Amino acid sequence: MIETQAYSNLQRLSETMQTQHLKELFAQDPNRFDAFHLRMDGMLFDFSKQKVSTEVVDELLNLADEQQLESWIKRLFDGDRINHTESRAAWHTALRDVSEPRPEVAQQWRKLESLVNQIHQKQFRGYSGKPITDIINIGVGGSDLGPLMVTHALEQDRLACAPEVHFVSTLDARQLHTLLRHLDPATTLFVIASKSFTTIDTLSLAETAKEWLLQHAPNPQVVVNHFVGISTNPTKMTEWGIIPSQQLLFWDWVGGRFSLWSTIGFSIAVRLGMTGYNEMLAGAHAMDQHFKNTPFKQNIPVLLGLIGVWNTNFLNLSAQAILPYDSRLKYFASYLEQLEMESNGKSTRRDGSPVEYRTCPILWGEVGPNAQHAFYQLLHQGTERVMSDFILFSQWNSPSKRGSFHQNLNIANCLAQSRAMMIGESSEDRHKHYPGDQVSNTLLLKQLDAHHLGMLIALYEHKVFVQSVIWDINAFDQWGVELGKKLALNILGHIEEKSVEGLDSSTANLLKTIWKQHHEN
Amino acid sequence: MKINVFGDSISALVCAGCLAETGNQVTLVGHRDNERSEPGLAKLLDTQIDAGRLHVSNAFDIEAEYQIIALNPDQCLEGKQIALALAEGNHPERCIIIRANFTMGTSQRIAKLAKIPCIVNPDFASEGRAIQDFKRPDRIIIGCRNPLAQQQFKRLFAPFNRNRNVMIDMSPESAELTKYATNAMLATRISLMNELALASESLGADIEEVRQGIGLDKRIGPSYLYAGIGFGGTHFAKDLCRIHKIINPSDSKEGLLEAVIRINEQQKEALFRKFWQHFNCHIENKVVTLWGISYKPNSTSIEGAPSLELIKAFLNQGVTLQIFDPMLEVNFMIWLRENLSLEQQKRVEIISDMYEATENSDALCVVTEWQAFLSLDLEQLKANMNTPIILDGRNLYDKAWLTDNQFIYYGIGR
Repeated sequence: MIETQAYSNLQRLSETMQTQHLKELFAQDPNRFDAFHLRMDGMLFDFSKQKVSTEVVDELLNLADEQQLESWIKRLFDGDRINHTESRAAWHTALRDVSEPRPEVAQQWRKLESLVNQIHQKQFRGYSGKPITDIINIGVGGSDLGPLMVTHALEQDRLACAPEVHFVSTLDARQLHTLLRHLDPATTLFVIASKSFTTIDTLSLAETAKEWLLQHAPNPQVVVNHFVGISTNPTKMTEWGIIPSQQLLFWDWVGGRFSLWSTIGFSIAVRLGMTGYNEMLAGAHAMDQHFKNTPFKQNIPVLLGLIGVWNTNFLNLSAQAILPYDSRLKYFASYLEQLEMESNGKSTRRDGSPVEYRTCPILWGEVGPNAQHAFYQLLHQGTERVMSDFILFSQWNSPSKRGSFHQNLNIANCLAQSRAMMIGESSEDRHKHYPGDQVSNTLLLKQLDAHHLGMLIALYEHKVFVQSVIWDINAFDQWGVELGKKLALNILGHIEEKSVEGLDSSTANLLKTIWKQHHEN
Repeated sequence: MKINVFGDSISALVCAGCLAETGNQVTLVGHRDNERSEPGLAKLLDTQIDAGRLHVSNAFDIEAEYQIIALNPDQCLEGKQIALALAEGNHPERCIIIRANFTMGTSQRIAKLAKIPCIVNPDFASEGRAIQDFKRPDRIIIGCRNPLAQQQFKRLFAPFNRNRNVMIDMSPESAELTKYATNAMLATRISLMNELALASESLGADIEEVRQGIGLDKRIGPSYLYAGIGFGGTHFAKDLCRIHKIINPSDSKEGLLEAVIRINEQQKEALFRKFWQHFNCHIENKVVTLWGISYKPNSTSIEGAPSLELIKAFLNQGVTLQIFDPMLEVNFMIWLRENLSLEQQKRVEIISDMYEATENSDALCVVTEWQAFLSLDLEQLKANMNTPIILDGRNLYDKAWLTDNQFIYYGIGR
């Protein structure tokens, strides 16, 4: 990136831009919004509250060209093995290609539909013959966050015939034990979602679930009915005891954090039905088409990504806040934490050389109205310069007077906060002085439904990809998470042998203290 | 006396026939295509028509002394239209008798529209014995606040109140609620017995013995204490839902009737669950025989019948069904067509001989307590069946006799 002409030009532009206050940009051009927003069906992207000028945007587009974004997008959609460190494609767009589905994808949709219909018709039965009333999704990372985030966001679109869906991910098993205390084993179905079907977090929980069923079932052979497996590895699923008719497949070209579009979205389909599930895919597909076919200048994911690069590499902002003004998007920030930081939290270029520039910023967030009472203080008066994404939906489903009052209150708060961050307010009392000049995007979507949520998620996926191309990194591997897993196994061995030999003094003494406390209890 | 009876329901036909039989001039404002499924009804109607006391017509005589509304429960709107038409007659000395099971409060609205005194006289007859129940009722409820109308009503119904006085005066609201409360009480007894049947199974008790034990208690009485695979029928479940909706917004939020309905729904699949458990959840490609489709014997009514839930459950698990019912009609064929996939329909065979229906079968489910099912030819069953499993949904059989004969027997609560 740094060797490009556009980079030097942007460097130069950033020197003047950094001295400009955001409110001055609005003062200089009262119609600033006109030049710095984009629209597509159902979505408006306002980036006028970014410290950009027409020249900056043009140079960012040049940077994209110099980094060959167009050919990278083509390779993404063609299913090329762009995840080169694992020699895999990153072909999540094929999972939602509702216009021309691949045969293996369509086949899994049919299998998914048949299982979902059985569940909805109360014909999917546990060992006693009673229909399933509760589903526990056991999975970590992408096998957990995506379905959790979506089912929570679209709770009001839940079908009346859909059973309860619960999510369990933490390997301390506390979430699981809490659920098992009040669920009926005869009517509980476990969904074991694991790409490799070897993840210890997931499989250890699955074993605990199996043991619980064995305690209650009349005989061991009937518990297989209570497990659906979702994996790329049918052999491992069969070995574990998932019967073939209850195995759902996806493929190694689906990254974990991009997998909610695959059969990993089982719990989404259970809640929304196939119509809702397909709507979500269609929404993402609409964003794919926009990303693939729209000139970069009008391309929302491209601009969203490039502006992030501008903020990170030229304005030196080091954090990204995600601020949805809708409580249904409670888990959206957590979802993006994984999507963005696991994808682009890297310091090695594609060719193996170290990067000489900053990459993915720290990303965090919270539902806006709650965040206002938590970390907005820092955004308004702290020392950190942060970029924020405000996410707002214009339509609300409540026809009541109080409902529209709350909607207006919510809209007012969202717009007020982004304006306050932009404009600030001077005061002679330093305690009441607001410097402003904090940049933000606002994404205004028509309504929160399966279609628009599909669009929104796909938008961020493509933003991440755009940035990875500019930064010349592979967004689709995650080697950084491996070392911890390896050391955990090693330390588990030490714990089982009760030996600290070879461990550093911190680890050794922490372990010794734990053992002492166990002993005292 | 001149009477109009509005409606096509069995209740309307029975009412028209019985009132004509006691010497009244009755016009049945409706059609008579329902009578076949009610024992004795066709003959009753024919006799009264021949005698010239009963007419079937679309028109009605506005001058008639009694206007009896016996429409179906979902015909509230038609009820109100009749009331408006009657209002034109301007005969406040006549009376309307509402025997239809409308939603609570409808009768009051009808009375207001018709400007004629109105009597709520719920019909408690059960299908299959409707004529008998009309002529010798346990009680005749007169829900009315107008003393003159009460007297008129008592004159009309006097022939059915000769043995002992079973007439009770009450307010129209109480009369409406009494009808619902009756069904709620009966349903609650059945669901409670089904809960006790589960307890019996886990304790090793026999619910049939328990039933006899409690039925002799005068405070409880013997009827509606049969554990089984649940009640069906057009009115029962509908009434329960309605009364549940009345109770829920009142002070109680405990959901007793909701539980009664849920228990009943679960009970409908009880035989499926026993079969499923017997084969450790592996029942694909098994063959199951069902005896009885209608929700009760001597009837073709299948609405809410447990058999329908069983059919869906078995077919969804890949079972093939062989069905026998002594009185199957086209309504069942329509149900099959509308509720099953083509592939599933292919796995349903309707057989006209009850024993032939057990050939190569892995289990016999006795769903309805038809008389013809009471005595079993065990030798023939054993010769026909693949595995000698009897799933007795109505506790018709002597368990010991069947097990002594090497049958595997599953009843309800025993």
